[in-house]
Amino acid sequence: MTDVTALEAEGNALLAAGHPEQAEQRARRLLASGSMTVTSFHLLALSVRAQGRIEECRDILGQMVERLPGNLTLRFELAETLLMLGDFERGWREYHHRYGMPHTASLERKVQKPRWDGRPIPGKTLLIHDEQGYGDTFQFLRMVSWAKQRSQARVVLQINLDQKGFAQRSAGADALVLRGELPPPFDVHCEMMSLPMAMGLTLSDLPGACPYLSAEPARVKRWRRRLARLPRPLVGLVWAGRPTHLNDAARSVTLDTLAPLGMPGVTFLALQKGPAEAQAATPPPGMRIERLGDEIADFEDTAAILSLTDLLISVDSSPVHLAGALGRPAWVVLPFVPDWRWLLEREDTPWYPSLRLFRQDRRGDWSGVVTRVASALAGVRDERRDPLSDRAPRRGV
Amino acid sequence: MARKPRPGKSPPAPQGVPIAEAIDMAHRHWEAGQAVEAEHLCRRVLEVWPGQPDVLHLLGLIAHAFDQPDVAIDHMRQACAHPQAPADYFSNLGELCRRRNRLDEAEQATRQAVARDASQATFWSNLGIILQEAGKLEGSARCLERAAALDPGTPECQNNLGNTRRLLGRLAEAASHYDKALTLDPHYVDACCNLGNLRAAFGQPDQGLALFRRAIGIAPRMADAYLNAAALEGDRERWVEAFGWLEALRDFAPDHPRLPAARARTLLALGRAEEALAIVDAVLAAGPGDAPALLVRGMALQTLERFDEALDAFAALGGAPGPAAEGGLVNRGALLTELGRLDEARTVFIEARRRFPRSPAAWYGGLELIASDPGDPARLEDLLRDQSPLPHRDRTIWHFTLGKAWMEAGDTERAFEHIHQGNRLKRAAVTYDADATDAWFAEIAHAFPKDLFRLNAPTDPDPSELPVFVIGMPRSGTSLVEQILASHPAVLGAGELRTLQRILEGIVTPGGQPVAFPNLMRTVAPQDLAAIGRLYLDRVSGKAGDARRLIDKMPTNFLYAGLIALILPGARIIHCHRDPLDCCLSNYARLFLEQNLFTYDMTELGRFYRAYERLMAHWRKVLPPGRLLDLRYEDLVEDPEGQSRRLVEFCGLPWDSACLDFHRTARPVATASAVQVRRPIFREGMGRAAASATHLAPLIAALEGGSGR
Repeated sequence: MTDVTALEAEGNALLAAGHPEQAEQRARRLLASGSMTVTSFHLLALSVRAQGRIEECRDILGQMVERLPGNLTLRFELAETLLMLGDFERGWREYHHRYGMPHTASLERKVQKPRWDGRPIPGKTLLIHDEQGYGDTFQFLRMVSWAKQRSQARVVLQINLDQKGFAQRSAGADALVLRGELPPPFDVHCEMMSLPMAMGLTLSDLPGACPYLSAEPARVKRWRRRLARLPRPLVGLVWAGRPTHLNDAARSVTLDTLAPLGMPGVTFLALQKGPAEAQAATPPPGMRIERLGDEIADFEDTAAILSLTDLLISVDSSPVHLAGALGRPAWVVLPFVPDWRWLLEREDTPWYPSLRLFRQDRRGDWSGVVTRVASALAGVRDERRDPLSDRAPRRGV
Repeated sequence: MARKPRPGKSPPAPQGVPIAEAIDMAHRHWEAGQAVEAEHLCRRVLEVWPGQPDVLHLLGLIAHAFDQPDVAIDHMRQACAHPQAPADYFSNLGELCRRRNRLDEAEQATRQAVARDASQATFWSNLGIILQEAGKLEGSARCLERAAALDPGTPECQNNLGNTRRLLGRLAEAASHYDKALTLDPHYVDACCNLGNLRAAFGQPDQGLALFRRAIGIAPRMADAYLNAAALEGDRERWVEAFGWLEALRDFAPDHPRLPAARARTLLALGRAEEALAIVDAVLAAGPGDAPALLVRGMALQTLERFDEALDAFAALGGAPGPAAEGGLVNRGALLTELGRLDEARTVFIEARRRFPRSPAAWYGGLELIASDPGDPARLEDLLRDQSPLPHRDRTIWHFTLGKAWMEAGDTERAFEHIHQGNRLKRAAVTYDADATDAWFAEIAHAFPKDLFRLNAPTDPDPSELPVFVIGMPRSGTSLVEQILASHPAVLGAGELRTLQRILEGIVTPGGQPVAFPNLMRTVAPQDLAAIGRLYLDRVSGKAGDARRLIDKMPTNFLYAGLIALILPGARIIHCHRDPLDCCLSNYARLFLEQNLFTYDMTELGRFYRAYERLMAHWRKVLPPGRLLDLRYEDLVEDPEGQSRRLVEFCGLPWDSACLDFHRTARPVATASAVQVRRPIFREGMGRAAASATHLAPLIAALEGGSGR
């Protein structure tokens, strides 16, 4: 028994240290020895997933969920795997269990009214409330107007203060209330990210009307003045996500990693917020970068800047969703096993037509991705530099 | 469990907000799922008004929703302590206590609720459920009836009506109420689960299981669905599956109050009696008198041959609510029978029949102990009719009981009607694959060619002569042979040991994969065989004491006769056989406590018998001479002394006349033959089947090889 526990701990440590192949070996050894513990299976599933064998991971998790239907952590992981594979039907149903995990259980809102089941409820009031990260809210705000249309209800949207302005300027909600404030009386509710389950969202429903968010005109005006003297093309740059994100180590990079992007004729705007912003003080040689971090007060500033830039280059973080929702061009660099919403293999995303995805070919290796991005960026710069010349070499974006 | 706040009564204000408004806001925040804001307001109200019942009640609801049951109960108790606490606070306290299995406090609180307001269906319904769990069935039925009358037309009401009907034994009506509840609300998991239980009781386990799965699909953490699924699988002897359901429950609810006893029961059935005992002992240490735990404790102790303690555990169930007390009596009676304490056993079964006149197990267990009255069969028929429709398992026992009773009364016609019906019911509830059995037996014979015994000729010059294996079909005289030999002063009868089977189940590859028998013969080395033999001797020799011979009379060890000859070169094997038709009828007419799943269909039984005969013929051909003694039951009945002497001589022991007084020997006999071996030999079992040939056509055909293949 202690052997099993020790081997499992060793496997988990290997996985955490970025050695999923060895972790998988440990897991397989455990299973061959007859250790049918949840931990052993789980270790196998996660190490297979980290190696990018998503279908295999889905099958293992599927079997475990069959055996332990009350284990909601497994069901949530299965949901993410299904969604990544594009199986929206079962994926959104399993995603419903996101608040059943030990670290999320206390986050669930125990709303004392039923959840909307997607049927028309004319004359009733539907409370839609945001949850989770900023990126999620930008991504799923599009569904508020769809829910309004489908439910024929009066829709009250409860949203965090930082994103309220965007909701105010977009269609859908009849009333807005801030998170933590007392909402008006309502009949049914739905978490923003349960809307896909309630409404049976399929890939072919995406992206819907795009752009569905807009920047505030006054801010755009201000930032136009601020950026006017900078030589174009202007490329927004974000190299790190929120450090508390569970998968941050895989998705975030350092500014130095992006050094190959530095090239004559391109002005980078550091849209980075948080502790990683300090890296902009010492940019890699050859990279012209304008620090804006201190001047960006909120997402309204970011949105205004994105409306004026030629391109955003970013790791998988909320500004990407903002750019996509605004219909602005953005390139996203993604780790080998990305978040479920980027699906697999494809260079585009059904969620946002203006986005282009650059994926790692090998786990942990950013150099290949950055080289491809740099070469694409050079193409953009050259086109821009001589937009009317037929003789200038054209490289595709 | 939600309630609108009542208007506040007092004006002091936390930071400018009037108390009444603060309480109202707290409730509205909670309605909207904003627990942090709600709780913050509650705390502020309590600062200026300690003990304010409305906010204490709300804090209780919040704690409950966030799965802090003890905190919730604590708040709710404080709320109810206020002189003006309204009825639904008591009802909510009762429901919280029920979920923690604190049934006394639950009942008390809910009675307070109905005393304050008798017009609320929910209160009566909650009370009905509490009383039901406490085994107070009549009171429960009354409460549920009242709930249904107060609030007709809702799914909850239909579900309650279903519960009442079920308590009253009106199962078909109950099913239709649950159906209606599910039509009204297809996501109503309670009704789903209740209907699943009824389906199981009707002998439709697959449908029952589908309903439990449906409930779990809707509510993945509905503990009852897991417990019910485990019970259903256990009832059809699929203990591995049962264990799987309990493990799934344990994965998310390790502290569920009903988990330990259910888990222990399953572990016991899987042969892990020590673990089972440790689990229920822990339960009983925390709460003495826990009926399910006591029952499993008794069964585990019985398995571990700690008979006196087992009897005590069963006796301790005497004061428990209905079903548990019945279980205690029936198990106690069966164990006393097994121990040969037939007078005490008789007293217990008489008591069981008196207290539980409708208990089929009480009747069945007492059949061979209590002198039958000529009026018994007719009285039993009436009982069966009165209770129709009965749960599937009870109905099965009744039919076997009536079969036996009519047989003794000499009415073969009626006897067979019931025997057939009992077998049909039992067969429907279990899983058995006759083809797989045939194939397995053939595989075993194939794995033990004659050469194997030459190649593995014993090298030990002085092998242990302790073990004597008595093998054969169940009901072929193995118990009698053991009883005769165990009456010899140098012999210990150890009963039906699972030791060999357990050892074989524990054999794994170097990589840890289990190796099924007989596959292990492909890779096994001579020293491995000797090691298995030593393991067997290590495990049994503790029982032997001074005895020179120890009898392991697990009949199905006939599967391993070849292996026994290899692993224990000094062991003797006695094979009991009997007229095939008599033997099969004896099996067919009996409801076994466990396993023997091949006996509930005549064709399958006949096929099993033929496969067994083929395997025995193979052993006779390949085993080294002198290892196997064939003993005909009929010869033993004709000539007890001659055959007993033959047995004793085969065992290499001097004759002892005690062997002829075997029915006086005091020792446990844990088999279906426990009562017969306490009697001198009778001839009544012989040739009975031939007289019943008209009722046994499929069996006869299968025995002749004319059917089933």
